[in-house]
Amino acid sequence: MYDKEKGLFEAFVAGKMSRRELLQATGKLGLSASAAGLLINQAQTRAMAADFDWMKFKGTKLKLLLNKHPYADAMIANIETFKSMTGMDVAYDIFPEDVYFDKVTAALSSGSGEYDAFMTGAYMTWTYGPAGWIDDLNEYIKDPAKTNPNYNWEDVLPGLRASTSWNGVPGGELGSADAKQWCTPWGYELNNLSYNKKMFDKVGVQPPKNLDELVATSAKLTKDLGGPYGIGVRGSRSWATIHPGFLSGYANFGEKDFNVTDGKLKAAMNSAGSKDFHKKWVQMIQESGPKDWANYTWYQVGTDLGAGASAMIFDADILGYFMNGGDNKEKGNLGYAPFAANPAASAPTPNVWIWSLAMASAGKQKDATWYFLQWATSVEHDLFGARKMDFVNPVRASVWKDEEFRNRIDKSYPGYLNQHDSSAPGAKIYFTAQPLFFDLTTLWAENLQKMVAKEIPVDEGLDKMAAEMDAKLAEAGLG
Amino acid sequence: MDHTSTLEKVIRGVLITLVVIFFMFPIVWIFLMSFQTNESILRIPPSVVFTPTFDNYIALVTGEMRTAAGSLQLDFMRNLWNSVLLSSVSVVIALILGVPAAYAFARFKFRLGEDIAFTLLSFRFAPPLLVLLPLSLYFKTLGLTNTYVGLIWVYQLICLPLILWIVRGYFEDLSPDIEHAHRIAGYSWFQTFRKIAIPLALPGIAAAGLLAFIFAWNNFVFALVLASADKQPVTVGALAFVTASGIQYGQIAAAIIFSIVPTFVLAMFAQRYLVEGLSLGAVKG
Amino acid sequence: MTTSAMPGRPAKQSRFRRKALPYLLSLPALLMCIGILIPFITAVYYSLLRYRLNLPAMKGFIWFQNYLNFFTDPKFWNTLKISLVYAGLTVVLELVLGLAIALLLQKRTRLNNFLSILLLLPLMTAPALAALMWKLMTNPNFGILSYLVSLLGFPDMKWGSDPATALFTVTLVDVWVYTPFMMILLLAGLRSLPPAPFEAAALDGVPRSFVFFRITLPMLMPYILTATLFRLLDSIQQFDIIYAMTQGGPGDKLLVFQVQAYLDFFQATNVGRSAALMIILWAITYALSNVFIKQWLKLREKAHGAA
Repeated sequence: MYDKEKGLFEAFVAGKMSRRELLQATGKLGLSASAAGLLINQAQTRAMAADFDWMKFKGTKLKLLLNKHPYADAMIANIETFKSMTGMDVAYDIFPEDVYFDKVTAALSSGSGEYDAFMTGAYMTWTYGPAGWIDDLNEYIKDPAKTNPNYNWEDVLPGLRASTSWNGVPGGELGSADAKQWCTPWGYELNNLSYNKKMFDKVGVQPPKNLDELVATSAKLTKDLGGPYGIGVRGSRSWATIHPGFLSGYANFGEKDFNVTDGKLKAAMNSAGSKDFHKKWVQMIQESGPKDWANYTWYQVGTDLGAGASAMIFDADILGYFMNGGDNKEKGNLGYAPFAANPAASAPTPNVWIWSLAMASAGKQKDATWYFLQWATSVEHDLFGARKMDFVNPVRASVWKDEEFRNRIDKSYPGYLNQHDSSAPGAKIYFTAQPLFFDLTTLWAENLQKMVAKEIPVDEGLDKMAAEMDAKLAEAGLG
Repeated sequence: MDHTSTLEKVIRGVLITLVVIFFMFPIVWIFLMSFQTNESILRIPPSVVFTPTFDNYIALVTGEMRTAAGSLQLDFMRNLWNSVLLSSVSVVIALILGVPAAYAFARFKFRLGEDIAFTLLSFRFAPPLLVLLPLSLYFKTLGLTNTYVGLIWVYQLICLPLILWIVRGYFEDLSPDIEHAHRIAGYSWFQTFRKIAIPLALPGIAAAGLLAFIFAWNNFVFALVLASADKQPVTVGALAFVTASGIQYGQIAAAIIFSIVPTFVLAMFAQRYLVEGLSLGAVKG
Repeated sequence: MTTSAMPGRPAKQSRFRRKALPYLLSLPALLMCIGILIPFITAVYYSLLRYRLNLPAMKGFIWFQNYLNFFTDPKFWNTLKISLVYAGLTVVLELVLGLAIALLLQKRTRLNNFLSILLLLPLMTAPALAALMWKLMTNPNFGILSYLVSLLGFPDMKWGSDPATALFTVTLVDVWVYTPFMMILLLAGLRSLPPAPFEAAALDGVPRSFVFFRITLPMLMPYILTATLFRLLDSIQQFDIIYAMTQGGPGDKLLVFQVQAYLDFFQATNVGRSAALMIILWAITYALSNVFIKQWLKLREKAHGAA
């Protein structure tokens, strides 16, 4: 290759040049766009290839199980890079999000070795790990013979690394020294406020700074806007109702889901602080939440914000990100704000959802699979996705420092970077890792629904719920 | 039956109109949605005034979906083909096995006959979820995981009992006299079955076949658990429009319309047998 | 004429062939399906285990403990109650409505034939997808149905998310999807009834209500039983509509068997409990169908005896 061209591509890969600039420059040199695309791959390849035999598993074919998600799309858009770098082939099965985890459970529980690696969330590994379906990735990450020297695992945000590792002991602290790395973080979302700036201006309010303000601002928005409601949060009978805004705010007051003493778990939702928080949360939904809140999962929360039916959501930041584009009515009108529910707290404590990649224990070509995993979670791919695709939020600290990425986000999503940067240090999983996670969070959501529907008072409801949870924990030998 | 008064005609007309409105309104609404963008579907309050767009259908056919998160690849046509293949082959096999069996139960009293019939029905009692985990383990051992053969076999559990019991009812309503006469005229049992019994029970067979087809078509849990992405039916495929970057109502609507069309065409085709039927009264005992 | 009379028996046919024929006709169907017994028996075995996939150390044989646990669990009784209420409500409504529509469309006209096919459209919409659309149509902001009922003076209808109206909402969707199933089977039945008794009744000037209750209904009964049985089997096992609309909520309002068993299996990976729950469901459907089939066979006997 001519040095001049080579220089261009290396500049691109190093992040000094945007893809468009690159393509313009190469166009001047007389290269077609597709040829340029190939050269980008080669340049990325060279950047990663230093001192590592990427071609070791040439000819191997991997199969992945993926969720239909922008992260998967970003990976597929860049997959040729991996293929040409390693000489491996990659096939994938993509399933809709609605049924994705059913498919994963079905595939793993049947002991099928069909899939080598798959997408997962950290909570799910609390099932898959103890069930013996996934491998501890520390065995690969810490092995210099298997992991390329530029992988830079420490670059992955510490809260996320810790949140995806667990020692398998019920109630065991995430990220402890004896923890197993059940999956590698890939992309993540933290929970903060996304709001409609136009509506806020119209009513004359600022993004709320704590829970009391949130309740009051939401009520004022609902009243003054005369149509749209104030605050969008999830409410369906599912763990997914507890994990976004609700738990983020809950954790900010230092409240816990369970207390662990001597390896035994005990429900902690009926503490005085918890009852207080629940009361305010329930009041907020009753006054200014969506009317059919009990149906709400992420896509309704998002849809309402994008269509101008709600003024603000306390949910995943990337949900607000997506609603600011596409064919959403309110695109371009959204703003983002960090949120610490507790006025005494120094910073937000957003609970996180981490889309991660895990390795199936039943797989038959694990070393080759690890090649894919380390590429897919590499700085290079993370950077590619963050700059060119909707691979937000990236999980690597170095990518968050990338100017091109920051400029792109700052231009179209004002306030997003600030929201993220000020919350990222406290962003991690605030649940207690334990095998009954799904049973008990579903029960939690069920009781929240009863409280909002005024079928049961908050105090009494929480006491009863805690007792029921303790019984279930005891039955499973955990309480 | 023709001595109806004007008042009764009016009442009947009104009732039929109400019925059609109740059952058709959601279908019409879905049909309208399929020509709208998400933005126009999500208006407050909802409205019937919109500029039609064919984008949803184009996206389904070409396999390119535009979302807030850029363009997504999808394989809806493949899902549609899988549904056609799985449902039609399953129903054909269920008919080949089920109609003779139904005839046997209706025409002959034989030892264990009712037990066999009830056992066949009881295959429909088992909640699919109950057998799914063991089934996926056995499928793996037998190498049936992710095969059309395996799925079509499982679909027999949906189709066969339904066909068997509905068709049996029809056979029982037919007088055996004609068959009897035909046999005496020297035709073999099989000729009689084929030339007399089946044609006479055709409305019932058509109705049962169509219903079995619909139930097979609407199923999704079997394929989801037992097969890979390339063998999924439309019911799973259409859920792809509930994307991480928002739900694409227009495309779901278009997918529903798309998935209704083959069954509807089949029903229109079978209509003659289905509801006009033959003048059964003439052959009743 | 009795059923035991065979359609002809030419002398040349051997006695053995005559005996074997019904088995030859029915056994292939049985053999095709019999394989399902193996996973079924495996599932029965699972139901006797303490078996949670994510607590492998606790796996063990516990006889009927999973079942016994249900008896003291108020949530189980709630599930049983709501499943039966749901099945009863939907099946009765669909039967009455389906029969009424079938009667309206009974006359063989082109319009009626066309309408009967048109009315099958809801059945052709996969319940899981139909529920997604109903959820949108009942959304308080964008939903056309919410808008229409607000014009009728119910601006705060909360449909599936309100404990007071959740059952009504899922029943509405179930009725919308499955009434056509009843309708088409009963219509086919109605049209196959012999005209003679009706003509005689018309000549004698017998009142219409008498004709309906004393002639139409009894003659139609076998069809009603078959259609009701199949609807009942599906309805007591309802999953798609309820899960897609409310996931069993609000609270535990709609936590029917299959939804609970699904959550136990796919989310909690509590295989033992999930299997036990579904074996109970299986036993209920088995008993119900037994009653229906006995009744059906009795009616058949009577009909053929009378004919």
